[in-house]
Amino acid sequence: MEKFVLSILGTDRPGIVAAVSRVLADLCCNVEDVSQTILQDEFVGIVIASVPDAISADVLRAGMGKALDSLRLHVAVKKLEKSGPPRPRPVCEPFVIVTTGPDKVGLVAGVTEVLADFGVNITQLKAAFRGGDDPHRNTMIYEVDVPVETDQQAFRERLRGKAAELDLELSLQHRDIFEAVHRI
Amino acid sequence: MLTDREVLSTLQMLRSEHLDVRTVTLGVSLFDCSSHDSKRFEENIYRKILGLARHLVAVCDEVGDRYGIPVVNKRIAVSPIAVAGAPCSAEEMVGVARTLDRAAQEVHIDFIGGFSALVEKGFASGDRALIEAIPEALSCTERVCASVNAASTAAGINMDGVALMGKTIVRAARKTASADGLACAKLGVFANIPQDVPFMAGAYLGVGEPDAVINVGVSGPGVVRNAIDRARRADPSLDLGRLSELIKRTAFKVTRVGELIGAEVAARLGVPFGVVDLSLAPTPNVGDSVGEIFQSLGLENIGVPGSTAVLAMLNDAVKKGGAFASSNVGGFSGAFIPVSEDLNISEAARMGFLSIEKLEALTSVCSVGLDMVALPGDTPAETISAIIADEMAIGVINRKTTAARLIPVPGKKAGDKAFFGGLLGEATIIPLRSMNSSGDFIRLGGRIPAPLQGLRN
Repeated sequence: MEKFVLSILGTDRPGIVAAVSRVLADLCCNVEDVSQTILQDEFVGIVIASVPDAISADVLRAGMGKALDSLRLHVAVKKLEKSGPPRPRPVCEPFVIVTTGPDKVGLVAGVTEVLADFGVNITQLKAAFRGGDDPHRNTMIYEVDVPVETDQQAFRERLRGKAAELDLELSLQHRDIFEAVHRI
Repeated sequence: MLTDREVLSTLQMLRSEHLDVRTVTLGVSLFDCSSHDSKRFEENIYRKILGLARHLVAVCDEVGDRYGIPVVNKRIAVSPIAVAGAPCSAEEMVGVARTLDRAAQEVHIDFIGGFSALVEKGFASGDRALIEAIPEALSCTERVCASVNAASTAAGINMDGVALMGKTIVRAARKTASADGLACAKLGVFANIPQDVPFMAGAYLGVGEPDAVINVGVSGPGVVRNAIDRARRADPSLDLGRLSELIKRTAFKVTRVGELIGAEVAARLGVPFGVVDLSLAPTPNVGDSVGEIFQSLGLENIGVPGSTAVLAMLNDAVKKGGAFASSNVGGFSGAFIPVSEDLNISEAARMGFLSIEKLEALTSVCSVGLDMVALPGDTPAETISAIIADEMAIGVINRKTTAARLIPVPGKKAGDKAFFGGLLGEATIIPLRSMNSSGDFIRLGGRIPAPLQGLRN
């Protein structure tokens, strides 16, 4: 068996996952892992499936295409290379960054540039509030892993500086505080 | 994965509702510093405090930054000086106070409590010396806070002690007349004082506590008030039962903050974590008021009929939520009604909604007592003692803590304003109806015996 990863993109509606998983089942593929997100009206999904050796990426694509074109879904298929020894990852701590401010071009790029510079990985990212009545209250929540070796002071200062440049209110807090307050 | 609601509501509490850790208080035992030589005692105290507290402020700030929750005040509470410094004379006690003040300044904390005596059953020599030293000690130092426990449910009320404290308060006010009697703002007389309070002026480290300990005082009247307002806007039909539940849940959240921060500060300092005191403690900042909670619950002002019932509900709901949130709850743990430290309460007193009689009634259901109450400057010592005696009785009979932090403001009368500054705020002097009617009673002296409630075996 080989492992493939499929990504599915299209306008959200009932029946998408049913259609995809039907194709996989008909081709004797086993769904090992799956995740989906709906952003505004668009559906995005990732599936990791173990696929019999006889089935190539092209066969998978063709099967998906036949079943899903009518649903106007784009499917990308990629074989997962056999992984070698796992990449060493630094020990990290979970933090949460929240930015609030008027929406404009470059907000995410600006903040994530600082994260990338410090080797900080984003584990979860979403727009929590798209402004609505108040365009100044656009809020983004970044859940990130910060390596314990990071110079906290420098990281905080860079983020603050970047926030000031982008006219954003920014907070950086260890994730435990949110869990402590809201979960038993 | 956190939900949007968890993240955003936490930030809302921090950014606009004044959620913070009100105080982290390091308790330091001074019993091993004792010496017949008061200079040696002072050296030992200074060295011990500096040794343990040198990093307190820095650690609190680091932990505060890490979680995004400010630790507003860092304080120290020491063993009752009347006990640790029992051989000292009154003059030597003043020297000890100066040393405590010096140590507090050196480690950059804003208040150091523990200049205290426990006299509920009678006086020992150290107690007398300390009490005599209080007016001078509190006027020549900035950061020292004093407390005297004059009553307990187990021992009754030491009326000689109460009489003495009335006189002491008057002397302390006179010594700081140019500052509106500021010394009295750093002095509390207590019944059933808890030995692990992180708040001032009552903080001291009791006998039976470890050598060093971290106690945390959380706060959050603004958070509670906003939660009530939001809920009532969304559902105007909410009744008191459901509002009480809401307050309880909010108190849970606020206490969790204190628990998390306190435990981490304690771990980093290598000191045991003691208790979270989950009192709702207001400040003079706008939106950080206990008085406003009364308005959110339908009373025009704190002090009007219905206030005692509201406060009873509030105090109880806070205790319930907080108790579940923390492994160890202690200190006062309830709602404070400090007249000068809360803009709204101060205003209610000024406008006449909150009389001293109503304040006294409120103390029967809240967690502290007559707190930061400014009185006319010519109030006789016996009347002050009588007010204290009433507070002591409420505490002793009801097996609860009560206290009096009374400030007779020299040269000012009812309706005038007194200015204490900073967290201590400002207050309008409350009228007293019967200024000269209690002297004979106070002069009787002796001890009011312990009530039956004290016989619990």
